[in-house]
Amino acid sequence: MDQLELEKLGIPTVTISTTEFASLARDTAFGQGAEPSFVVVPHPMGMISLAEIRKKAESVFPEILKAATEWQPVVKPTLLAKLAYPAERLKLRGTVGNINAIFFSRGLSFGIPIIPPTPELVGEMLKGTSRRPEEVVGRVPPRMGGLTIELVATHAVMAGCKPSYMPLLIAALEALLDPIANWRGVTTTTATSAAMVIVNGPIVKEIGLASGQGAAGKMHHANASIGYAINLTLGIVGGSKPPTPDKSILGGPADFVCWIFGENEDKLPAGWKPFHVDRGFKESDSVVTVMGIYPPVDNIDHWSITPEEHVNWWGHLVTPLLSIGGPCWITQMEQPHIIGLGPEHAQLVAGAGWTKDQFRKALWEKARIPFSAWPKGCPNTDLFLKKFGEVTPDTLVPFTFKPEDLNVIIAGGYGKHSHFFAPFPGCFPVSRIVQK
Amino acid sequence: MKLHGFIKDLLIALILAGLLGGPIDILAEEKIQDWELINPEGVVKIEIMKLTPHPSRLEGKTIMLRSNGKHNGDKFLIRVGELLKDKVKDIKIIYSWEVAPETVDPITGSHERSKKFAKKLASFKPDLVIASQAD
Repeated sequence: MDQLELEKLGIPTVTISTTEFASLARDTAFGQGAEPSFVVVPHPMGMISLAEIRKKAESVFPEILKAATEWQPVVKPTLLAKLAYPAERLKLRGTVGNINAIFFSRGLSFGIPIIPPTPELVGEMLKGTSRRPEEVVGRVPPRMGGLTIELVATHAVMAGCKPSYMPLLIAALEALLDPIANWRGVTTTTATSAAMVIVNGPIVKEIGLASGQGAAGKMHHANASIGYAINLTLGIVGGSKPPTPDKSILGGPADFVCWIFGENEDKLPAGWKPFHVDRGFKESDSVVTVMGIYPPVDNIDHWSITPEEHVNWWGHLVTPLLSIGGPCWITQMEQPHIIGLGPEHAQLVAGAGWTKDQFRKALWEKARIPFSAWPKGCPNTDLFLKKFGEVTPDTLVPFTFKPEDLNVIIAGGYGKHSHFFAPFPGCFPVSRIVQK
Repeated sequence: MKLHGFIKDLLIALILAGLLGGPIDILAEEKIQDWELINPEGVVKIEIMKLTPHPSRLEGKTIMLRSNGKHNGDKFLIRVGELLKDKVKDIKIIYSWEVAPETVDPITGSHERSKKFAKKLASFKPDLVIASQAD
């Protein structure tokens, strides 16, 4: 919440929030140690007429005036719960089914089965990493729960992971907790967003992570259990549960098991480098790259026989998605997007001698909408004009400011499909080396 | 035929058990036991942030109205600005989206960007910021 940064600079603030989002705003502030001044307006504020929004302003104006001049901060001592390590032990009685029911009722699981995390099982899980159990991985938003290696192992047990998965799980969580991954945004938004985890390097085969046919789907133990463990850890330690502070209006399966797969390095066309090498790592490094995404879009192309035809179809396919770029949130135009080329589509492109750079530049040139398509009243119009100068209604606008922000990976197995992964606003890809 | 009858009886038994006791009771052989389990929730340690006192009067003050760009946030604040000018003498109103359009962003995304925005908004030296989250 930007207002808290203003408070740190000595500027008092009053934040106007709607009834549906007041608790999220309060929780977000509280997670950062603040209980600032709020005025709550009946939901909604957006998508109503000018007369209605002005009337809402008039109805709460006395409260705004009061908050502006009468509200004063209350000084409270530091809030300290309990020691982060060792984690609290729960003494419970019952069957495995009973334990599952108790965990769910206490908000300690998602409602699908977990394996009860006994100290013995967690101890076995910790054998999969050289990291000490008391080490702190980070604080998980929005609750800002402290995450230790012991807790990572606890969630790994609950999700059914093997100890050999621990290094990858830890690296993925560390990457997701990097501030530029914007996990707070992904987990509290109204959008259907989720984490995506792409894995490269020797670790993929070492632990049996799927990277080919149906890699991100069912019947792959490593992918399923690590993906479940990532979400359990972030959701339970971070305290993000619907209907608030997880505000996703629909949610989806990736709230249970995140998108996770290995790049299909075996199917990289000759001369094309793996994704992690593109990002500056050595080919022999095991690397995890995470990004907060919207649900992917499937590009079905059974028909193109030249790269030009294929890129033309790509351009028309992703053009409707430009609505989630510049016109809505201009920040997305500065964010990397990910093109998950299926091996057959990649071969079509590379077989004609194209490099990844040629492909991304051709797509960037093709996937554009006229400036006249931007919605009237879009606040980003002014920002766009400031950046590029005057444009005409016919000026074609790309969905990223530069073609280099279209990252290309090889995703999945045989078939005439590829996938487009658009970033959630404010999310940048974060890579971490997997260390054992 | 015998096998068919057995399956039929089993199905009836399962349905009755489900109706009477729920699916867990079907597996009644599972032992009740005492468990010691690690609480997966983790703990929260929060350092209290010092907030800034509000002015007791707005006369002669500079008030910044800040919209994050979500629909109608600016319209709401424009009306608030009009009312403030009507009710408070010598008040100066600044609209953030006019003076600092680069701070219009519904999802700031990171503390670094938040800090950058706050620094920019603070450069106009407001005595108070009234911010709309909209939505």
